[in-house]
Amino acid sequence: MPGGPTTDTAAPIVLEAIGKRYETASGAVQAVESVSLTVRAEEFVTLLGPSGCGKSTVLGMIAGLVRPDAGRVLVAGVPCAGPNPEQVALVFQDGGLFPWRTALDNVTFGLELRGVPAAKRREIGLGLLEPMGLRGFERKYPRELSGGMRQRVAIARALALDTPILLMDEPFGALDEQTRLLMGEWLVGIRRRARKAVVFVTHSLHEAIALSDRIVVMTARPGRIKDVVDVTLPFPRDLNAPEVTDLRAKLWEQVREESLKAMGTRP
Amino acid sequence: MGRLGVLACQAASLAAVVLAWHVAVRTGVADPLFVPAPAAVATALWSTAREALPRLGDTLLKTLAGYALAVGLGVAGGLVLGSRRLVHAVAMPYVVAAYGVPKILVLPWIALTLGLGTSTAVLTGTLFAVFPILLMVAAGVRDVDPTLVTAAVSMGATRGQVSRKVLLPAVLPSVLAGMRVGIVFAMLGVLLAEMFAGTRGMGFLMQRMAMAFKASELFAATLIVSILSIVVVLSLEHLNQRLSRWR
Amino acid sequence: MKILAWRLAILVAILALWEAVAAPLNPLFYIRPSVLPGALLGMWRVPDLPPLGEHVRLTLQEIAGAYVLAVAAGLWLGFLLGLRRTVGRIYEPLLAALYAVPSVVWYPSLMLFFGLGSASKIAFGVALGFFPIVLSVLAGIRQVPATLVTVAQSMGARPFTVFRKVMLPAMASTMVGGLRAGLALSVVGVLVGEILGSRAGIGYVINYAYGLMMTREYAVLAVIAAAAVLAIDTAGALVEVRVKRWAG
Repeated sequence: MPGGPTTDTAAPIVLEAIGKRYETASGAVQAVESVSLTVRAEEFVTLLGPSGCGKSTVLGMIAGLVRPDAGRVLVAGVPCAGPNPEQVALVFQDGGLFPWRTALDNVTFGLELRGVPAAKRREIGLGLLEPMGLRGFERKYPRELSGGMRQRVAIARALALDTPILLMDEPFGALDEQTRLLMGEWLVGIRRRARKAVVFVTHSLHEAIALSDRIVVMTARPGRIKDVVDVTLPFPRDLNAPEVTDLRAKLWEQVREESLKAMGTRP
Repeated sequence: MGRLGVLACQAASLAAVVLAWHVAVRTGVADPLFVPAPAAVATALWSTAREALPRLGDTLLKTLAGYALAVGLGVAGGLVLGSRRLVHAVAMPYVVAAYGVPKILVLPWIALTLGLGTSTAVLTGTLFAVFPILLMVAAGVRDVDPTLVTAAVSMGATRGQVSRKVLLPAVLPSVLAGMRVGIVFAMLGVLLAEMFAGTRGMGFLMQRMAMAFKASELFAATLIVSILSIVVVLSLEHLNQRLSRWR
Repeated sequence: MKILAWRLAILVAILALWEAVAAPLNPLFYIRPSVLPGALLGMWRVPDLPPLGEHVRLTLQEIAGAYVLAVAAGLWLGFLLGLRRTVGRIYEPLLAALYAVPSVVWYPSLMLFFGLGSASKIAFGVALGFFPIVLSVLAGIRQVPATLVTVAQSMGARPFTVFRKVMLPAMASTMVGGLRAGLALSVVGVLVGEILGSRAGIGYVINYAYGLMMTREYAVLAVIAAAAVLAIDTAGALVEVRVKRWAG
């Protein structure tokens, strides 16, 4: 059965047949249906699929921001009842940076909420911005930063809380092609040091292959798991290697089929 | 054309207007009874200023009082109106209707009950200023990017923390914009009340000058009040720029 | 549905509160809403009040005159400042400065110049009404996507055609908002002018009633005037919605 080994409640994330249904003006929509998945510690799992297939909804359910209508979500063995800042940190597609705060103040926001004293916050914050290549930009406002820089600040902000789980919802989606590729490379470098369980949502095959330990291909709406592919290649991955090309072809076959369905044409 | 050039053209245009005005009065095209010569206005400026100063102070005080009240009510009301969906849906038509009704219609009643004094002017100023502030703040609250709130909540922010650390700074630009608009309306209300039912203040003075056909003095007084409000608004604008460096 | 029920409840609550608060107070100053319908019916028979029909007609004429002139002046100035870049750069800041002045300060001068007749009311209505129109024309021009203009030009359209077939429709939604606001302000201008000093018009009658402490009649007139203004604005809103739907 897709989703890896049987329910291991010690795993950071366990999804047990979760589903979500939305009421819209034109009737009920089943966004996600019967998704079961286990994410192990320090594992990088990508949810891959066409737009509108419910990947973001799944992420929302793991984050505790969306309540499942069916099944349950276990985070660190405990059923998820709401936002879980100790366990889960999020990175959004458009950053979600507070425009009135400097880069540093954005990064330390979570720490501020926890009452960490200012000097310590500054230390942690600068410590996170430095490996991101943002040293010297800590006092800039988001408006003064490029798209790629803003996303790095957003990621730093998520890392600041030092949670075991990191959820990323198409974090590079709003960036241009070149920046995306560079950010992807950079994230590969970061992930090995970060040592977290990561669930990464994207519709880019390239990113999925470059970053993941496992790729979960999702169907068009209602989103179900179509296939789970383990990627055991060593990092950094040469995207021209024959194994990668094969994998890409295989994934594309599946994603293409679902994308066409999502667009309303038969494959 | 550079900034200096623009300024020069503006100054030149104003000078041209004054010149044309002067010629019009000189040649009799404009009746000096209704249109005073620029020179006459200039001389009247000094004497009018002396008479106007205490009245101007009076008007300003009333404006500030009315404005303070309006800001308090408007910001508080706007925050409530904008943040609670049910309140917004239910109350909005009434607020918009109240905004659409010319407030001058209420002025006679206010004057009747509160008399010809300060409270009428202050209340009218408040009445005129509160609606734009209310509407702008409410709109600002509704325009807050929901992702920002989600981000804060996901990082463990309590309701109080969300209000203080996310909503308040996010709403600040709209509050400031409302406040900038509000001051002009407050002054408008006060002047209007003074013209309609006042014994002191600038509005009353100007109305009296008009009735007495004191054209030069009236022009001078109009000029003084205009310059004063432009200065006030520009300062508020400058303050706003300083506070909004991040935008 | 629930919202409608709430709205109705609020309306009833406000009227009830008003009635309750006003009841024990001096009926000369504090008008209970229940008194209004009776006073409305008796309006035409009140001996001291001037004949309403003519005054209403005059006010409406003044409003129409003020609005037509405001639209003409507003559109002319708006396009002048908006289409001629240099002219705009010079005079727009001056216009913005003017906007910072509370408009009522112009009125005594207008009264002195035009007298107490209709002319000063129309002038004031124009002074108030043309602002939103000018501003909306400027804003409208600014938000026409440059790509649309380029597309038309690349297809060989001449400047006037570009203006007529591309810019005007693209500006329509913004402009109609300004035209609607201009109408509202022209109405306010005329009313304020009449109340502050005139010999005819609805504002004059209101002032008259106020002067003679005919509070009930004043209240009825105020309610009628308010309702009329809201009706005019609603008509404007309907037109605005229609235009916006067409313009996209």
